[in-house]
Amino acid sequence: MRQMKRLRLLVIGALALIATLALAACGGDDEVGGGSDEEVAVVEKGPVEGEVTISNWPLYIDKGNQGTVAEFQEATGVDTTYIEDVNDNNEFFGKLRPEFEQGNSGGRSIAVVTDWMAKRMYDLGYLQEFDLADLPDVEANLRENLREPDFDPERKFTVPWQSGMTGVIVRKDLAPDVTSINDLFDPKYKGKVTMLTELRDTVPLVMKADGVDPNGASKEDWLAAIDKIEQAAASGQIRDFTGNDYADDLTRGDVVAAIGWSGDAVQLQADNPNIEWRMPDEGCILWSDNMVIPVGAPNPSAALEFMDFVYDPQVQADIAEYVNYVTPVDGVKEILAERDPELANNQLIFPDDEFTESCSIQPTLEGSDEQEIEEAFQQVITG
Amino acid sequence: MSTARRRLVPYFLLGPGLIWLLVFFAVPMYYMGELALRSGSLDEGFGFTWEFANFPDALSDNSTQFARSFLYAGVATALSLVIAYPLAYAIAFRAGRWRNLLLFLVIAPFFTTYLIRTLAWQTILSDGSPVVDALSFIGAVPDGGRVLDTPGSVIAGLTYNFLPFMILPIYASLERMDRSLIEAATDLYASARTAFLKVTLPLSAPGVVAGTLLTFIPASGDYVNALFLGSRNQAMIGNVIQNNYLVTNNYPDAAALSFVLMAVILALVVIYIRFAGSEALMGDEGGQTR
Repeated sequence: MRQMKRLRLLVIGALALIATLALAACGGDDEVGGGSDEEVAVVEKGPVEGEVTISNWPLYIDKGNQGTVAEFQEATGVDTTYIEDVNDNNEFFGKLRPEFEQGNSGGRSIAVVTDWMAKRMYDLGYLQEFDLADLPDVEANLRENLREPDFDPERKFTVPWQSGMTGVIVRKDLAPDVTSINDLFDPKYKGKVTMLTELRDTVPLVMKADGVDPNGASKEDWLAAIDKIEQAAASGQIRDFTGNDYADDLTRGDVVAAIGWSGDAVQLQADNPNIEWRMPDEGCILWSDNMVIPVGAPNPSAALEFMDFVYDPQVQADIAEYVNYVTPVDGVKEILAERDPELANNQLIFPDDEFTESCSIQPTLEGSDEQEIEEAFQQVITG
Repeated sequence: MSTARRRLVPYFLLGPGLIWLLVFFAVPMYYMGELALRSGSLDEGFGFTWEFANFPDALSDNSTQFARSFLYAGVATALSLVIAYPLAYAIAFRAGRWRNLLLFLVIAPFFTTYLIRTLAWQTILSDGSPVVDALSFIGAVPDGGRVLDTPGSVIAGLTYNFLPFMILPIYASLERMDRSLIEAATDLYASARTAFLKVTLPLSAPGVVAGTLLTFIPASGDYVNALFLGSRNQAMIGNVIQNNYLVTNNYPDAAALSFVLMAVILALVVIYIRFAGSEALMGDEGGQTR
């Protein structure tokens, strides 16, 4: 008897669950993800006051008492909260996507993401546009070669924060003769090599090593390069795939050569002279991280003010001196040439055209190809 | 009136726990179940399509990581048991006035967060560290071999992190044991070994069962140890789920995978409890209903 009762309860429970699921199915418009067809919001410039919250990558500004954040606060009276919670484009996006989906920005007025992610967020309707006329310093000082990128030719939803180069970082003492991406596949360094979890850094470099131009590469080219990486990972040649944390591996010497970012290497080298960024024989990957204003961002006026503020060459000189990436602002080199000539002549911070000659702009992917390639790469990363 | 109220008392007592379960278990489970039945892509949106294929796919696409997770968790549980039992026994029966101090030492690692402790092991086990040098000197690690980023380091991390969860229940069951039973056994000419096997061990079985469950279940879903102490060749199922949620943003697959993991663990636990006997888990009270 008791058994029967329990069974009935179970059946009722199961029916209730199915019924609610069916209801949810009929709900229709509660799609998870997907773009919105609404018109894109445009930021209107208003009075600059109140509070602003900025999300950026770690070590991308001096946030101390004498630093750029404090300076902005003092100059404008805007109460600025600066958080360093972007470690990986995908992870940051994954964390905030539910908020974006609701038309919120998670309290952020500005977020900093890499080119391709900015494009993805824009396509999904998560970003606001702005008028360059409201950003006079950006208009005047943005470097020429960054003005018309493919993904945002009019710069109406992105303003570059810093640019950088992806190449190889080596321990000079432990791997003196690594000068190309192909050297990373040399059995001599088995188990001592890492690559980045960023698909658009790692795979294009490997394509270049095989003589394929990443811009205009076909899906098959991508998958072939991913296959090559997978074999190297399965054989133990590649120890692991990392984000910024390759810094620790290199410092400890567990890894002797890694695919890594130029600015990191400058900072690491200051602590350990044996660490060095090298321009691969095949060339590097060029990318930018961009300031964007998400839909629903509080106080977009102050956000615009901040974007413009960091394009004052004097302010940018402080940032460039602190972060050591490639600055997107003209006139900074001249200022630093007086302050710190060695820095001004560093090819990693102010690369000349000759230095980056064989480099490629970080490629973007589209639609179903993108998903297939990303999934294939994730399979490799998680083994 | 008063009998009616008395009848309600158990429900009041259960109330907080039930509400907690409802809000933090049943509701998330519902949303996860709903998510697991969706299909589509991030750009086009994930629509609700009764995509039951997500469940078998989750299992078949990630069978390596599933097998690896249960292998690592199983070995870590076995190692924990081997380390924890003698330790718990010593604390319960032989520690005398040091007992409280020893118990404190077992719990002491919890004063530092789990993440920091795991990261510390990264440094301790790094390729050129004294520990690894010593291990390769005695031949435990081949020349030029490494400890970090191998199955060994991940299992060691799991064992280390979950060991207290094994020690404490075993200690608790040994500590409340009636010692006169051992005396009675020896009075009846049982050797120390027989007394242990026939009296102490069965009486501590509830602690052993609780300890193995408390170790095995979280260890099979853990991703921190594999993340920091392993590499992609040691990725466990937790890493795949984390990756699906936060990196590829493939929510349906991640949700389906979580369900499958839960189902597999549940099945393993049911088999284990059947095998270990429910009396062992419930103590004497459980046995009475038989």
